Amino acid sequence: MAQIDDNYPTPTSISQKSTIALLVKPNPPSPSTNSTPIQSGILDVNLHLGYLGRHLLQGLPARYTSQDASQPWLLFWSLQSLSLLKVELDQGNKQKAAEAILAMQNTTEGGFGGGPGQAAHLLPTYAAVCTLAIVGAPDPSMPNSVSPWTRIDRRALYSLFLSLKQPDGSFRVSSNGEVDVRGVYCLLAVAKLLNLMTEKLVRGTKEWIKGCQTYEGGFASAALSIGEGEWAPLGEAHGGYTFCALAAWVLLELEYPSTSSGLQLNLKNLKRWLVHMQGGEDELYGFRGRTNKLVDGCYSWWIGGCFQLLDKLEGRQNVQEPDCIWNPEGLQEYILFAAQHPAGGLRDKPPKAPDMYHTLYNLAGLSAAQYTCQPANTTSSSAPNSSASSNSPTGSRTASENPSSSQTRVPTLNATDPLFNLTRTHVDAMMSWFREEHRQEF
Amino acid sequence: MTDYVRYVDRPGWDDVVPIEQYENGSPLAPIFYTNEYKDVANYFRGIVKTGEKSERVLELTEHIIRLNPAHYTAWQYRYETLIAIDADLEKELKLMDELAITHLKTYQVWHHRRLLMLKIRKPIPELRFIAKTFLVDAKNYHTWSYRQWLLAYFNDEDLWAGELDFVEQLLYADIRNNSAWHHRFFTVFQSGVHDGEQDRERVLKRELIYVKQSISLVPNNASAWNYLRGVLEQNSIPFSKMITFVQPYTLPMEEQTTDLVDLDNPPPSKTAHLPCALAIEFLADVYEAEGGDSMLKATELWKSLGNEHDVAHKKYWEYRIREGLRVLQT
Repeated sequence: MAQIDDNYPTPTSISQKSTIALLVKPNPPSPSTNSTPIQSGILDVNLHLGYLGRHLLQGLPARYTSQDASQPWLLFWSLQSLSLLKVELDQGNKQKAAEAILAMQNTTEGGFGGGPGQAAHLLPTYAAVCTLAIVGAPDPSMPNSVSPWTRIDRRALYSLFLSLKQPDGSFRVSSNGEVDVRGVYCLLAVAKLLNLMTEKLVRGTKEWIKGCQTYEGGFASAALSIGEGEWAPLGEAHGGYTFCALAAWVLLELEYPSTSSGLQLNLKNLKRWLVHMQGGEDELYGFRGRTNKLVDGCYSWWIGGCFQLLDKLEGRQNVQEPDCIWNPEGLQEYILFAAQHPAGGLRDKPPKAPDMYHTLYNLAGLSAAQYTCQPANTTSSSAPNSSASSNSPTGSRTASENPSSSQTRVPTLNATDPLFNLTRTHVDAMMSWFREEHRQEF
Repeated sequence: MTDYVRYVDRPGWDDVVPIEQYENGSPLAPIFYTNEYKDVANYFRGIVKTGEKSERVLELTEHIIRLNPAHYTAWQYRYETLIAIDADLEKELKLMDELAITHLKTYQVWHHRRLLMLKIRKPIPELRFIAKTFLVDAKNYHTWSYRQWLLAYFNDEDLWAGELDFVEQLLYADIRNNSAWHHRFFTVFQSGVHDGEQDRERVLKRELIYVKQSISLVPNNASAWNYLRGVLEQNSIPFSKMITFVQPYTLPMEEQTTDLVDLDNPPPSKTAHLPCALAIEFLADVYEAEGGDSMLKATELWKSLGNEHDVAHKKYWEYRIREGLRVLQT
């Protein structure tokens, strides 16, 4: 809902007011003047490619020391951003990325750590495996080369997963680490990609996820059992945790569907909450992550991606505009006008600096917006994926269903699979490789 | 860093063999660490390799943590060391008091605290410490989930005794603080029945009055409406029970008629922005639940939201209309 303070200011409404003052759209963006692409609401692809390339090849300033335990994430955020921008690394740099990731595999515990020699942890494990999905596919032009995928120790990884499992169906993120839905999502996404999903692994997990749903409709970070079938959610409904919980739920539903009388989420409340996270015109239709908090570009994906997860859950194949429940055109305004940084990269909001995390989650949100709810009569001169048409969310879109770049004046990004935040091509290649050629019994 | 003393030059460290992060090649996206960080991280890798658990490991891990509080391996190794050498955990908790305030948004400071609390098992002073951190950030997610864990895990009646007063203070400071509203719901409805709260009829009545008064003061507050919805659903009370209360909020200021003081149905404040979209949404839900002819009334309200009072979510209101009509036809 639009934020109105009822002439009763409190700290929340005061910071809301000062944020709105920063969210301005250049007025009017006229093509005749010498405005920059950002001032005109166009995605400045070259500027962002420069930002990503600079960080990848030249390195990251010392303030990124706070990410020293998230090194696979730095690679994933930048390489998946490039994938969305339809840029592939050359073979040499792909190899470099794969070697860097494999050096972070923890040979005693299994799984991956936040850097070489760091303890195994579910979050960097997800980022590592997704990075390998992007850079590690067997090279068809070199049939004798060995794919980095063969070097993932799946048996050790599966034992790590089991060792982190808790009696209530949840998982710790690392040995003695915390329990939360981020870890559960990361584990399930990796288990799906690497064909490690078993009933034993996920017994009780759905119940625990359901326990995280709050009275508002969104999900909390975790839940604590307080008696027979009763759960106390720890923390309020939150965009990031809601994405993780819903994606985890859908991954489980696709593998082990609930009967209609079985365990269900409250989808009505979830949809209402998700929709209400989208701000109004004065917030350039950006998403906030919690009720009465400020909009932030990263929720473009954490909330924006949830609508595609719901499509998957409810079996909608081709979402036409009339089925849409949120405002994807609006979200693009936030990303293009507020989240793009004039020096490249994307961000939370002005006047903040960009970073790799916000660059990816803004771009992923933009992609979700572009592939959602396009008017059925939109015509497009080119398919979104010039090289791989199977990158569309359903693999069966026709050109006429693709977003029109002339209408939005934004170059069309690659589509991203909401279950993993990887392109369909990368998901399909990795899943079929681990399904068909390298099935191991546990 | 001219005055930084490297570990190689410190007494008592000469037996440790530091290990560099990368053994060969130039990595992608390298971080330009400071020399100090590189030094301490190299010694940490050296220590982990030998598996040493000793007093000096506490010194080393504290050093890393101060430079990078998200270094979960250092935290994990520190915890194992504390246990292995049977260290004074109360002293460790004191150190955490300082680190938690400086690194409020780091997962690890709060998780480490939880691990310590599982050993120390003295949760009551923790509540006061947490309250202090809310002066810095009253919506910090980690702090709130830590407090809720503490309460639900130890579940001691002395622990719960002041919780409702505490929430009320925070809501008094900022009635839009959704974290505090969630905590209220957690305390009253989602953590069992506490001392003095056994009369559930009375508790329910109290909560409804509280949330209605809050809405009356600041009608356009999504946190309060969500709380109202939550309380009703949790207690299986139909939304229609609130219709007398909600109706005035769906009308413009000039159509307000209430002059009587009605505690059960407090009217919107004179400074409120009306009509209130959240109230219109609520009233539409009442009509939708009634079904039949009322569905058309619901449809009209959804239309007014989409076209006038909440245009930003137009597609959602159109969806609600479609769903409503679909239900009506089946």
